[in-house]
Amino acid sequence: MAGKRILSARTSRKLEGTLFMAPWLIGFIAFLGFPLLFSLYMSFHQVKILPKRIVYDFVGLKYYQEILFNSSALYDQLIPYFQEVVIMVPVIVIFALMIAIMLNQKLPGRFVFRAIFFLPVIFSTGAVLMSFMNQGEGNLSFLERYNVGGYIDMFLGDNSWAKPVKQVMNHFVLVLWYSGVQILLFIAGLQTISSSAYESARIDGATPWEVFWKITLPAMSPFILLNLIYTVVDMFTFPSNPVITLISTGNYGYNSAMAWIYFLIILAFLGFVILLYGRINRKYAKSDRG
Amino acid sequence: MQESRLIVVKRRLTVKWEDFVLAIRLLERAQIWIAILLLPLAAFMLLPLVYLFNHAFKPLHELFLFPPTFIVREPTTSNFAELLALSESTIVPVSRYIFNSIVVTFLSTVAMVVTSAMCAYPLSKHPFPGSKIVLGLIMLALLFATEAVAIPRFIVIQSLGIMNTYLGHVLPLVALPVGVFLLKQFMDQIPNDLMEAAKIDGAREFTIFMRIVIPLVQPAIATISILAFQSAWGNTETSTLFMQEDAMKTLPFYMSTLTSGLANSVARQGAAAAGALIMFIPSLVVFIVSQRKVIATMAHSGIK
Repeated sequence: MAGKRILSARTSRKLEGTLFMAPWLIGFIAFLGFPLLFSLYMSFHQVKILPKRIVYDFVGLKYYQEILFNSSALYDQLIPYFQEVVIMVPVIVIFALMIAIMLNQKLPGRFVFRAIFFLPVIFSTGAVLMSFMNQGEGNLSFLERYNVGGYIDMFLGDNSWAKPVKQVMNHFVLVLWYSGVQILLFIAGLQTISSSAYESARIDGATPWEVFWKITLPAMSPFILLNLIYTVVDMFTFPSNPVITLISTGNYGYNSAMAWIYFLIILAFLGFVILLYGRINRKYAKSDRG
Repeated sequence: MQESRLIVVKRRLTVKWEDFVLAIRLLERAQIWIAILLLPLAAFMLLPLVYLFNHAFKPLHELFLFPPTFIVREPTTSNFAELLALSESTIVPVSRYIFNSIVVTFLSTVAMVVTSAMCAYPLSKHPFPGSKIVLGLIMLALLFATEAVAIPRFIVIQSLGIMNTYLGHVLPLVALPVGVFLLKQFMDQIPNDLMEAAKIDGAREFTIFMRIVIPLVQPAIATISILAFQSAWGNTETSTLFMQEDAMKTLPFYMSTLTSGLANSVARQGAAAAGALIMFIPSLVVFIVSQRKVIATMAHSGIK
């Protein structure tokens, strides 16, 4: 009798868990999971849309071959953007962390400040940023005035990385506008650090600099990773990014193949970032102990 | 005579200055520096807002100025008049689009937030065999460009028979991977002891979820609702693909028809600028309302 009751309690808990997840999972499977698998299927087919039905002709790896080996469309768009992302991501995360730490102080008027710095959250998806970029408002005129570009050219030489570096500096204002969600996540994270940790550090005579490295940064570690992932994903799936526009033009089989190749590239990059972060983190923890 | 007056003025000034210095000393010096540092950055943050508001009131010849100006010189409401005139000439009244947008946005935002929270809870706090796989799938879905799944989605919508219904607007948006992802990360921070204590007191899962978990992740919920609102309010995809009847399309779709699809980019720019402002104001209102929740500290939430 008793055994039966335990079993039923366990089943009921399992049932409850499943019920909790069911609505989201059903939506996920119907509108993301299945379409994704279907797009994988389409990427091996030529899709013809006829008036009454859709015809799929099997073409094998033709589209993949075409994209990877027989055309430069992907590489032309991807490589410059990729370079920009590689520079932008750490800049955004570090900038967001700095701003979040500042906003977490007892500033005069900090509530207004916080609201203003979260504001980009509502711009990031909107058309506002786009019209800005088109009109060149993201550029900082002081860069041209003091000829910073010239110094960068001298410093980095004429290699392929000089251009993205310049571009990121040019888009510094855009970095500000990309970092709304990141600042928000960092502030939420900062508030999980208890104030007693700071107090005891201050009593022990730690300088603000030491407090940052020994208390704030280790505690923020999971949030830095979260923000790294979020930023990479956000940058790569931003609707205006050149590769996405490449995906939404052309025939459906070709598009699907392109989307899957792009997806694998992002996945590899993200895996690399997480691996790198884990390694740095471990090293730091080790040196801290020693 | 004049000199003495000057001295009085000077003294008054110095007194005020000393008050000011005293007030400043009460605050910490470093914090003043931070505030000074943040001020210009904050000004940059506000630029798009200033631009958007001014752009809507620019007369036609100012809209095309190069380099573009932030502040309008001769403000006019002619853009709004143009938009109004345009909207009177459509077959479907614009109020219908507005109504559709409000219904769709409200339903999808609520659905997105509720289902995301419900899905994140077991993933975070009751790991089951296979939960890692589900989480991995969600992460992967996050990475995938949704632009590529238009056709399969169309097929799903068609076979469900929800073309030209509000469900066709809402359902495709419900599975928001970012929502589950962020909420799960925040729920991970909730100490398990808190939930154990509630369980010992006889609380059921649903009570724990509603009474403990949801209040604790409120900052995350507020963030998600801003993001969810954004994605629903600005969405044109469902209108373009799944709605054939004009009466079922939404406001952003109508706004996008104003400028795109025209051969030149000069016509109706004024109306588009006014429309952009009208589209933006609800976002701003939602933001201002929910960002208070984001800012509300976790200090009294028991996480510490």
